[in-house]
Amino acid sequence: MNSTRTPETNPSGNLVLIAGENVITTDRETDPRPDRKRLSAFLSRFRGTARRDLRMTMTFSVVTGLLIILQAFLVARIINGVVFQSQGIGVYATEIAGIIAIILLRFGSVWVTERFGFAAATKVMRAMRDELIDRVEKIGPVGMAETRTGETVTALAEGVRAVEPYYSRYIPASVLAVVLPVAILIVVFPLDWISGLTLLLTAPLIPVFMIIIGKGAESRNQKQWRRRTRMAGQLLDAVQGLATLKGFNAAGRMAREVAIAADGYRRDTMSVLRIAFLSSMVLEFFASVAIAMVAVFIGFRLLWGEMNFFDGLFILLLAPEFYAPLRAMGTAYHARMEAIGAAERMVVLEDAPQLAEPGGTAPLPSPEKIEIAFEDVHLTFPDGRVALNGISFTVPAGQDYALVGPSGAGKSSLLHLLLGFVKPTSGRVLVNGVPLGELDIKQWRRHIGYVPQRPRLIVGTLAANIAPGEDAPDRARLEHAVTQAHLTDVVARVPGGLDGRVGEGGAGLSGGEAHRLAVARAFYRDAPMIVLDEPTAHLDHESAAQIHDALERLLPGRTGLIAAHRLSGVVHADQILVLKGGTIAETGDHESLMAKGGLYADLVRTGAMPEWEPLS
Amino acid sequence: MKDFLRLLSLMRPQAWWMVLAVVVSALATLAHIALMATSGWFITAMAAAGIAGVAIDFFTPGAMIRGFAIARTVGRYLERVVGHEATLKFVASLRPWFFEKLTPLAPAAIEDQRSGDLLARLKTDIDRLEFAFLRIISPAFAGLLVLIAGVLFVARYDGTIALILIVVALLAGVGLPALVHMLGATASRRVTARSAELNALLVDHIEARAELDIYDPDHRHRRAVDGVSDAMLADENRLAGLGGFAIAGVGLAAQAMLVVVLVLGAPRVLEGSLSGPELPMLALLVLSLFEAVAPLPLACQTLPGTLASARRIFSMVERPAPVSVPATPQPVPENGGLVFSHAGFTYPGAERPALRGIDLALEPGRRIGLIGPSGSGKSSIVSLALRYRAPDEGQISFAGGSVSDYDPDALRARMAVLTQHDHLFSATIRENLLLADPNASPEKLEEACARAGILPFIQAQPEGFDTFIGVHGAKISGGEARRLGLARVLLKDAPVLILDEPTEGLDTDTERRVLDAVLADTGDRSLLLITHRPAGLEKMDEVVLIENGHIVARGAPAEMMRYMDRDDPVSRPDKTRT
Repeated sequence: MNSTRTPETNPSGNLVLIAGENVITTDRETDPRPDRKRLSAFLSRFRGTARRDLRMTMTFSVVTGLLIILQAFLVARIINGVVFQSQGIGVYATEIAGIIAIILLRFGSVWVTERFGFAAATKVMRAMRDELIDRVEKIGPVGMAETRTGETVTALAEGVRAVEPYYSRYIPASVLAVVLPVAILIVVFPLDWISGLTLLLTAPLIPVFMIIIGKGAESRNQKQWRRRTRMAGQLLDAVQGLATLKGFNAAGRMAREVAIAADGYRRDTMSVLRIAFLSSMVLEFFASVAIAMVAVFIGFRLLWGEMNFFDGLFILLLAPEFYAPLRAMGTAYHARMEAIGAAERMVVLEDAPQLAEPGGTAPLPSPEKIEIAFEDVHLTFPDGRVALNGISFTVPAGQDYALVGPSGAGKSSLLHLLLGFVKPTSGRVLVNGVPLGELDIKQWRRHIGYVPQRPRLIVGTLAANIAPGEDAPDRARLEHAVTQAHLTDVVARVPGGLDGRVGEGGAGLSGGEAHRLAVARAFYRDAPMIVLDEPTAHLDHESAAQIHDALERLLPGRTGLIAAHRLSGVVHADQILVLKGGTIAETGDHESLMAKGGLYADLVRTGAMPEWEPLS
Repeated sequence: MKDFLRLLSLMRPQAWWMVLAVVVSALATLAHIALMATSGWFITAMAAAGIAGVAIDFFTPGAMIRGFAIARTVGRYLERVVGHEATLKFVASLRPWFFEKLTPLAPAAIEDQRSGDLLARLKTDIDRLEFAFLRIISPAFAGLLVLIAGVLFVARYDGTIALILIVVALLAGVGLPALVHMLGATASRRVTARSAELNALLVDHIEARAELDIYDPDHRHRRAVDGVSDAMLADENRLAGLGGFAIAGVGLAAQAMLVVVLVLGAPRVLEGSLSGPELPMLALLVLSLFEAVAPLPLACQTLPGTLASARRIFSMVERPAPVSVPATPQPVPENGGLVFSHAGFTYPGAERPALRGIDLALEPGRRIGLIGPSGSGKSSIVSLALRYRAPDEGQISFAGGSVSDYDPDALRARMAVLTQHDHLFSATIRENLLLADPNASPEKLEEACARAGILPFIQAQPEGFDTFIGVHGAKISGGEARRLGLARVLLKDAPVLILDEPTEGLDTDTERRVLDAVLADTGDRSLLLITHRPAGLEKMDEVVLIENGHIVARGAPAEMMRYMDRDDPVSRPDKTRT
């Protein structure tokens, strides 16, 4: 039951399937909430990349505005002449020609405005996407496990897309909303100061109301975006775990959960839209009232003979154009709020601790031989979890060291440090004497063969999975890797063999097969440094033995660091580091550690370090 | 077109609201047009009266202007609220609908799909369907109503202008959209496909971060992400360009119509067949009439992408379920044995059968151990038992009745199964456990966790059961994840228990303790223990060895233990025996 927890304290922020029908979706309220200033600053930061296009779109929208004024002038002249001077249309051939020219120019100008507006937005979206994907890489694999994938995907895809109208509409509209009304006032005031004053006095009402309404909508908009990303996180998780849900007869409950989330999202969206519609209604209302006022004032002065018809009609034609850019800005204000809502998740991503080691620029000296050293390395995670507490050791080139210890002792964390997935809180990790913080991390990683604890397949062919970084993997090396990793039966089974698709959207591999594929990656790479995280954890007896044979062929001459939980992976190691609670409890080879009778000997005796023992 | 009709039929519950939205939308646009036309007429008439020095009724047009202004603003607001409310309700109902349609397909019929792609269907594609009404149906019908009214009104004053208006309006409202559609349909469809592709690539980019960091230093995968994203932007750019062209084009048509009114109307004013005020009235009327036409090119531009999204959704829904559900399912007995009689199964497209002639009698209280090398068909047996797939020869029965007579979901309620691909949700430990039994008391949770040997770990966490375990349980170790999965299965109260490698990733010591605790108390439950490790097998009633999809040896645990020895020839894959 969940009664003791309030939604605010639920750390995971997802669907909870609780108490029969009473399913609730909790809120991950512990997310940091960046304030509005940060969000605006984040959005504006990308403005530079689009400056030229924005300038073009603004220029052309002003040109369009000026053409509108000119056209109104010509139309008023023609109607005035025809209706009140009883002149034939032939007299106004020049004006007609002018109008036609203006119409064509307006066509071009409007089109160009749209094009540059979108071009500006495209540049911003691209810059934003690049920066955010960079972030994902800087946060690293360990940090990314903290956030549900669907949420990040939504920020990167839909979130970035939602910024488009902000740049293509809002920013140009906000400039045009100043320039064009001023231009119209300059034209109107000399003709008729009463109309000019009416326009001038009513104009500020529009932005004022807009801001008042916008304030209320902003927080709703952010809430709606949060709901949207959360729903995506939930949906991806639900789809990935659909078989498990079915196995627990929970798919129906999840469908209800999805319905509740979808409905909540709908309600949030609607509450945002209602405000947006209300604000544009207010804007339209004021614009209509003001235009009506102008029309009525003009009408009566025409009736009383205090004004000539040309001026009246000209001003009346201009009045809607005076409010049009203000109204456009009001509509585009919604685009701004959308962008701010979307920006929140991006800023959260930007603020997430960048756990990965960024490295430096130093080249890796003599990469064919790798010596690694840890110097008093501490690792504490941002949430306060202490993973490693003062680790020092050196693995000389060509030797292989094993890491053993109870679950949670810090074996994986230690490997992650060496791989640069996390950087030490203090202390140094050295490769051939160069600290990882100064080393070109990409170059370092090229010299590592790594088998993670739970390997993940990448969408694509079997070949692309064995050599993910290469455009055209070498066939002979692929086949060698396949043979060495005992993957031959998998290649034979997958339709298309090495060119058959595997992983999500392809042939399914069992846990053990995925593991052997990860081992094949290491063989293919043929690297001087081998990092293995429990390489035989998920393998059956026979495959494990095969992998061990293979690793025994792979390891000689290379430097190895292997987290292991079976004796067979340890006994031949040059040294064994026994970890406990984030420190090295003992070091030595199998014989000396057994003789010592310490923690290692205990682990072996109690069966915590099993061999593949034949049954008695 | 079929997809579009199908969409319409899905919208049926909201149909009357949508009709209302279209009517109000048309009325609001008409009010706007009337406002402009009346204003033009009004000031000209006032000026004419002023010059002529005659009296004029300015109250009626004044009231009309006020009325139209209010009708326009309020109507626009109502139309938007009603239209969006109806559409969003429609869209919100599609998500659980689609999810429910996916459920019977999983996992067998959707394993060719990437999860990111399915997410795109559930999220982006369904979102895109809101355009079907808001951007396509509503503007098309409202536009048609407005144009008819406008043309009829103009025709009362000048037939020629009305005819030209029809032509120009058709050019702008049909010709231009058709052009935009022709030039943009491919791009529009590609955007739909690519946004799904982008989703799938991004899921990989994040979840395979460790692999990509090490094995892809040149950012090949990143380039693929950028490539799809750039191609999508290029298509959207093309569409935006076409959109801009269409907006400008409608503007051009409206202005051209203004010139037509001036040129044709002026002589008629001079000859007296059209009154002075009627000229600006008609001019402003035709100008504003094109507001009803303006959204049509966008509608046509949106159509292909929307239909592509609809297709992506319907194509999933149309897939045949891998297991048929009987029309009148038999009630599933509370208890009973799960019996495989000579069951065989071949994966679609595979050359060899995955299972042949499997006989297993999992009677109440009976425990069977299933051993064999990886890839021998053990997990396929689980798949058949769970009715994720149906055997293509032989029979599987539960409590004496063929499983094909039961509702698959009701049958699964009788089984607690730990599969190889047990999914841990990105949630807390408690939330993951409650999946099995939403009503489980805290004591029950603790008891299951204790039996699975994970309770000490949970209690050592600062947040205990409320510990967030990360994406797919990434924040806990493989062994912990396995035990948590096991605890979850133990929570489910079902007569048949199937455990596929329950102790994978555990050390021998923990493995023994966990298995002892699990096996100590299975009572009447039948148990199928699939393993490649010897622990626990001695407690089985029967041990079955499966190789290459068929049973090669079976017997009491004591006599079967020799097959667990690595040197035994039977467990070599190249050795075949009958």
